[in-house]
Amino acid sequence: MGKYLSKKLIIYLITFFVAVTIDWAIPRFMPGEPIGMLLARFQGMEGGREILESQFVQAFGLDQPLIEQYFSFWKSLFSGDLGISIYAFPKPVMTIIREAIIFDIVILVPAILLSWVVGNKLGAYSGINKKADNLMMPFFYFLTSSPYFWFAMVIAFVFGVRIGWFPINSAYGSTIRPGLTLSFILSFLHHWFLPFLTMFLVQLGGWAIGMRNMILYERSANYARYMESLGASDRLIRSYGFRNGVLPQVTGLALRLSGIIGGALMTQIVFAYPGLGFIMLRAIMNHDYFLIQGTFLFIVILVLVANFLVDIAYMVIDPRVRYSYSGEVS
Amino acid sequence: MKRNWALLLVLVLVVGLSSIAMSYERSESLVYGGGMWSPASNWNPLIPYTGGHPTGTVGLVFENLFHYYPLENRFQPWLAESGQWLSDNQYEIKLRKGIKWNDGEDFNAVDVAFSFLIARDNPTYYSNIWTWMNDIEVVDTYTVRFNFADPHYQEWKGILHDIAMIPEHIWSKVSADQLLTIANENPVGTGPYLVESVGQDRMVWVRDEDWWGNQIFGQPAPKYLINLIVPGNNNALGMLMKRELDLSNYFLPGIPNIKKAFGINTYYEDSPYMIAENTALLFLNTTIEPLDDRNFRRAMAFAINPKIIVERVYENQVTVANSTGLFGQAWMDYYSQEIVDQYGFSYDPATAKQLLDQAGYLDRDGDGWRDNLNGEAIELEVIVPNGWTDWMESIKVIADNLKAVGVNVTPSFPDFSIYLNAIHQGTFELAINNFGASLSVTPFSYWNWVVSDEIDGDLVTDGNFSRYDDPKLFKMIKAFNMTDDASPRAMEIAANIQQAMLEAMPSIPLWHNGLWAQTQSEYWTNWPSEDNPTGYPCTWGGKWDFGSIPMLINLKPVK
Amino acid sequence: MATGAFWKKHENLYFALTNPKVIIGLSLFLLMILLAILGPMLTPYQYDDFAGAGYQPPSREHFFGTTIMGKDVFTRVALGLRSTILVGFIAGTVATLIGCIIGFLAGYYGGKFIDELLMMGTNIFLVIPSLALLIILSAYLQYRGIVVMSLIVAITAWPWTARAVRSQTLSIKNQEYVNLSRISALNLFRILKEDIAANMFSYVFMVYILQFSGTILAAVGLEFIGLGPTEGISLGLVIKNAFDWNAIQLGLWWWAILPGLVLTTLVVALYFINTGLDQVFNPRLREL
Repeated sequence: MGKYLSKKLIIYLITFFVAVTIDWAIPRFMPGEPIGMLLARFQGMEGGREILESQFVQAFGLDQPLIEQYFSFWKSLFSGDLGISIYAFPKPVMTIIREAIIFDIVILVPAILLSWVVGNKLGAYSGINKKADNLMMPFFYFLTSSPYFWFAMVIAFVFGVRIGWFPINSAYGSTIRPGLTLSFILSFLHHWFLPFLTMFLVQLGGWAIGMRNMILYERSANYARYMESLGASDRLIRSYGFRNGVLPQVTGLALRLSGIIGGALMTQIVFAYPGLGFIMLRAIMNHDYFLIQGTFLFIVILVLVANFLVDIAYMVIDPRVRYSYSGEVS
Repeated sequence: MKRNWALLLVLVLVVGLSSIAMSYERSESLVYGGGMWSPASNWNPLIPYTGGHPTGTVGLVFENLFHYYPLENRFQPWLAESGQWLSDNQYEIKLRKGIKWNDGEDFNAVDVAFSFLIARDNPTYYSNIWTWMNDIEVVDTYTVRFNFADPHYQEWKGILHDIAMIPEHIWSKVSADQLLTIANENPVGTGPYLVESVGQDRMVWVRDEDWWGNQIFGQPAPKYLINLIVPGNNNALGMLMKRELDLSNYFLPGIPNIKKAFGINTYYEDSPYMIAENTALLFLNTTIEPLDDRNFRRAMAFAINPKIIVERVYENQVTVANSTGLFGQAWMDYYSQEIVDQYGFSYDPATAKQLLDQAGYLDRDGDGWRDNLNGEAIELEVIVPNGWTDWMESIKVIADNLKAVGVNVTPSFPDFSIYLNAIHQGTFELAINNFGASLSVTPFSYWNWVVSDEIDGDLVTDGNFSRYDDPKLFKMIKAFNMTDDASPRAMEIAANIQQAMLEAMPSIPLWHNGLWAQTQSEYWTNWPSEDNPTGYPCTWGGKWDFGSIPMLINLKPVK
Repeated sequence: MATGAFWKKHENLYFALTNPKVIIGLSLFLLMILLAILGPMLTPYQYDDFAGAGYQPPSREHFFGTTIMGKDVFTRVALGLRSTILVGFIAGTVATLIGCIIGFLAGYYGGKFIDELLMMGTNIFLVIPSLALLIILSAYLQYRGIVVMSLIVAITAWPWTARAVRSQTLSIKNQEYVNLSRISALNLFRILKEDIAANMFSYVFMVYILQFSGTILAAVGLEFIGLGPTEGISLGLVIKNAFDWNAIQLGLWWWAILPGLVLTTLVVALYFINTGLDQVFNPRLREL
């Protein structure tokens, strides 16, 4: 058990190391002259420009040899210092990310979990019910083939513009003060719903299709036939099939995480929802390299953590993993 | 499972009821967007507004000596009570009495002098005043005199309403190396609003009930100003339709089509709907062939049809520029119809072709495109930043127009940074730009930008991207800066400048981008309009002194 | 032996062509190809022409209506579809190639150091969110054509192909005929080519179909964010353009929604072919 996790952990650590290295390289190997571009914003401040420029050069450590820059990047990383944003000068990148990441989590966690659970249930159901299968499958295929941003636009058009029930902007109402108040929570949920729904529905299709195929596969497996011939109830066979089908779905979750996070990014753009993806795009548009670095890093960390959680979940669900790594079964 | 939900509901209710602060009363809040593009993070007026402080920092908190109302072409004394030239090189300002900083200290002449002196001793964006200003005298508590070595009368007009006054008792304690980098989170100014709160996508200002101007101008109507960062015009339009936004300062395609159906107001009831705000020009890089030939450039001016752009791309929300690019009362005072009649241009492809033929730009190899005088093919590229949708559509039209007279031009959309690099470094051929052509108190600002003389460095960052080099013209513009308002000499120089620019055609004025402003009247009425000119419906940075405060004062809550 | 393989192939072809999913998928796919090839010829316009009045809903003159400015949406979609399919083709092919090479090698040397190394790299690429990586890569290249964009997309798309191909290779390579070749000292390339690749053709083909649709979705996503090709038209650009010009708020659904519907149809078609083929190659699924 410990072995399994530690092996995974090592891979994640190496990934993290690679990601940080890429991250470090972002502003340093950009073509053109990033610092100059940053300072274009401070036009008309001749002398001031120099002051700021020297500050940025120092902050990036651009006056040191590359190797040293690399090590000091790691050092500042562990002290939680990701530099200062240009786009939101002089706010620390860390603060911006801290404020944004919560908006990713509130959408992603429920959307992933719910779509996984509901998708698997629906898929299992359509795996055993021909009628439901014919009815739902085209819909699932449609969902899983839709680009997130386009589906978000459809949702926005239908629920936001045509029916007009939900706002299609921002994370809470314009006159609401953030805080633990009823009006804030209601407004928050009101704004949260459509981005959530988008994320939920698009993912739903994939899970349902996956589970349906698993069930079909399992039902035709020899053990199922054997049980059938022994006179086991249909229900029992189904539940075995479902349990066997769930495992690959958990692995699938890990594989899809990166795509889901990409989808969240685009959904956020359509709904102007101020999460990390949204910030990252703004950062790129504004050539705010510190902020690009920071958001990239945190998106990677988010995926790594999620992957690790999936691994743990997998271990809990599948006893074989537990045993094989603790030496009980060879 | 069910019990959990019930528990959660109870929890939510308890939390909800126990809290005190609920929300900003909608009927007391003005919600707007369009001027803020990044989260508010500093309120440091020594950084220019492009450097990140939220729009309104100067205007709502920090104030100016004067306001300038472009629609009336009039100066409104603000912190100053009056100002006048005592002699050719001495200007005196008398301050209003009884103005207080919002921390309770008195505002006086020392603060005014300090606000200028800080730029002499430190590199701020307005430090170059000190190349032509000698010193400042604080005559008494309410009187300041500025002595000039070399008075730039035209430029001074801009400075009078542009520079923010900052409290000496606070900023004198900030060390020099921090001046440009501190965030100044609780800004102390003289203005009608204070910082209330800041969010990831918004910034809220709250009215200062003790503002000195209440007795003089009246109190601004909204208790809260909520400035949203709305990331795109599509979001802004949606929010305007849903009444989540009271005032939008975005370019919104489709407004002429839907304004009636959705009860959206614009300054002019019909076309052009918007107040003209700046001139969009086509810059022609005069350092490369064939753009170095004024005959070729002039032919191009005749070949382009901005009317198509105005109608198709902007749905008549903008107007075609005249040949000089001048607009607005202050600039048009110097407009010379005579010169335009003689040297102006208008869309006329036949003339364009004729001019090109005459100048020798013929299709020598029979490939359908005109060639350079030396026989080489002419292939030009016109650029605007990727994602600037209206400009992207516009240059497609321009390229088509030029192709129609046989000049091979392709539109291209590099990312903004590449675009900026190209115009700064002179590696472009044709490019649209308007960054420095905004409505102002004097056409000097326009000329000094479009044909700025600062073209000798490696980078040309502030206008004249064409790199048009004409010392005589530069001299005329300098001379114009030294003239007084509407003196015969000023008029004469202005006419000469217009003539020189039309003859040389270093850039082609195309259309006037608007002060995009759309409002709705669900919560607030009495918006500024053509028939009700109560202010300037603008929340863009650096322009609050153009009449946005009167707009706030004249707004009427529906409830 | 040779005739047997031939026969087997034919059997699969037979099952494939009679499989309803494959039939539906293929027809839809061909329809899309036809739309891409012939569509632009049905209209007299170019995608950027002012073809008529703005705000027109679909009609006989403008099958998919017009934009705010009066451009013909159908022409835009048909031409956009062309380059989108092209992107899928180039990026899908490149990604599959990279994935196959890495997967084959790793699988062939299963368990050895080179396998560990390759899989480590693959897993790392798999975990780093591809969209974030794509955004950064695209931001580096400030002028982007269709081909360059396809390559960028391919660079982030190959890892899961590699993983899948590796596990297939692992299972095939231990079969007897491979061992036989190995004993007879055939060189690595020939073993890979003749024994392993030939036996994996069907599998790789299915993976390729998924790569095709996957890279299309990734490319369209980039285009929507504004990091697509800096010239020309594509489905993502049509949708982005509609989004930027308020098509949703102004109710021009034909401009915002139809291009996406075409795109989704294309992806659905590919999915159908894929699952249909899955049934063909996995008889256990076929029985139902």
